[in-house]
Amino acid sequence: MRDIFFDLSVRSVKLNFLRSLLASIGIVIGVVAISSMGMLGTNMQLSVKDQLSADVNTIMLTSDVVKIGTGLGAAPTSSTIDESTLNDIKGSVGQNDVIPIHHTSVQFSVGDQNGRGTIYGLAPSDVPKFLTIAQGSNIRGSDVLVGATIASNFNLVVGSTIQIGEKCATVTRPVVRVAGILQARGIAADGVNVDNGMIVDDTWYTNEFGGLDQYDQVNVVMADVSQINQTEAAINAKVNRNSDVVRVSDASSRLSTIASTLGTITTFIMAIGGISLVVAAVSIFNVMMMSVKERVQEIGILLSIGTEKGEVRRMFLYEALILGLIGAVVGGIMSFIIGYSVVNAMIGTTQYFFTWDSLIYIPYGMIIGVVVCVASGMYPAWAASNMDPIDALRAD
Amino acid sequence: MSDMPLIRLTDVSKIYHLESGDYIALDHVTLDIAENEFVAIMGPSGSGKSTMMNQLGILDVPSTGELLIAGQNVAKMSSLERTHMRRDIIGYIFQKFYLIPLLSAYENVEYPLILKYKKRDTTGRAAEYLKAVGIDKDMSAHRPNQLSGGQQQRVAIARALVNDPKILLCDEPTGNLDSKTGLQIMEILCDLHRKGKTVIIVTHDPNIAEYAQRTIRLADGKVVAS
Repeated sequence: MRDIFFDLSVRSVKLNFLRSLLASIGIVIGVVAISSMGMLGTNMQLSVKDQLSADVNTIMLTSDVVKIGTGLGAAPTSSTIDESTLNDIKGSVGQNDVIPIHHTSVQFSVGDQNGRGTIYGLAPSDVPKFLTIAQGSNIRGSDVLVGATIASNFNLVVGSTIQIGEKCATVTRPVVRVAGILQARGIAADGVNVDNGMIVDDTWYTNEFGGLDQYDQVNVVMADVSQINQTEAAINAKVNRNSDVVRVSDASSRLSTIASTLGTITTFIMAIGGISLVVAAVSIFNVMMMSVKERVQEIGILLSIGTEKGEVRRMFLYEALILGLIGAVVGGIMSFIIGYSVVNAMIGTTQYFFTWDSLIYIPYGMIIGVVVCVASGMYPAWAASNMDPIDALRAD
Repeated sequence: MSDMPLIRLTDVSKIYHLESGDYIALDHVTLDIAENEFVAIMGPSGSGKSTMMNQLGILDVPSTGELLIAGQNVAKMSSLERTHMRRDIIGYIFQKFYLIPLLSAYENVEYPLILKYKKRDTTGRAAEYLKAVGIDKDMSAHRPNQLSGGQQQRVAIARALVNDPKILLCDEPTGNLDSKTGLQIMEILCDLHRKGKTVIIVTHDPNIAEYAQRTIRLADGKVVAS
């Protein structure tokens, strides 16, 4: 048989059903806000992590030497990695693959359509080491591999031609043929963002854009990712022994930085969601105070016939708990539905939604909702239990 | 200790500190009420009847003087001990019945048992007391607002009796009832007195006071006749 104080609380909630319902809706909104935002943030984190973690075995090397322009007001520019430094790098990374990369931003035309993207110059033999050709074959001569986004936006197929460079009446622009279309990479942690770019043979690249033996970036693809720190140390020892020649970074450190930033953003948006729970707490407090005020005589009866203060407190806390539980359960269900829709709309996939890291925000939100509700009921419960039974009995 | 009456007031005063000055509701009252007495407390409005009831019902403590109930000094008891004494030794019957509106008649009577034994009644005691005051099983499922005044007062009497208290404190128990129902309630109280209960009844009705063995008259907070 149930506790009579719980029964009294249930009956009080039923008696003031509409008021209780409205108060619980506040909790529902709060729970939905916290849970949905938490799930959205986590799904975002998991999605980005998943995309970036594909390249965590790559060390990215860029020049750490800044060139000072000679002209008046010329901006300092980043230098390149020369052949000698490249050989030092090769000498310090053992059997791991070293991929020298040229890149620049270019304008291009496909038929009448103009576009802009990054063009990468790579040795054809390096392409399969970290890129996947979805359609067609590898580059040769003046062939080009295009990223998935460019291919889609410009309706490119294997055999299509692209004119590279700005349209100019006096200069003939080089034409490249699409040899293959690359698989979409998303945000690439190794700095080779090919979705909106294209890959050409490095010989062709240096013929057109210069920079022979001068590389914009060198990637080291590790056979064993656990050796990444030792390899970085070896590069630093060999290449940066006298001064900083190359900047060494890897995807895992950037991944943790991005994950940490996204975590902070998630906490922040959850805190914004939490504001609605504060509003709900005020509403619950108000409802509980109204309940106490309306039941003063009843409290007087309870106290006068021997009800302990703690039992009166318990009765009102049960009432707050019931409101909290109703709000939390409905809020939990709504969070699932709304969270799913928001994640699908914002991230474009729900593949991470049903993970523990994501769904845990529903019970989190529910628990916070119930705790906030009970906390809001504490002062009204205390006030009720400390009433003078004589004054309370006199109340009409 | 065997000479100790059930209730002893020694020089008890109750003073309320108001903005307009101190108000003496009870003024050096000294009296004894023995076990199994039937006492009526009478007096005009403002004479201190309600204050006396609050003292005897341990809802309040004296400002000065000593109030002993069942040998225990009320002023020296903790709040929780006073609560337990109200629950175990005293049964209250109020003019306005004061049943708990959210509970059925049965649950109202069961409630003091739950307070005392911390569990729902499975002994049938609540039903037994309801039956004794003339409330049948069907009626005991009703909420107070579905009962007549007389029925509510019967339920209130059953509630007051269910924990077998030594003292029955009745504050104008027939005040909200018609004369016929009032007489029935007084018969129940007389019967309870005959069965050994100490009945203290506050009334301004001399006809009701006639049921008592002894009448204590109050005026301006003082006992003028006992």
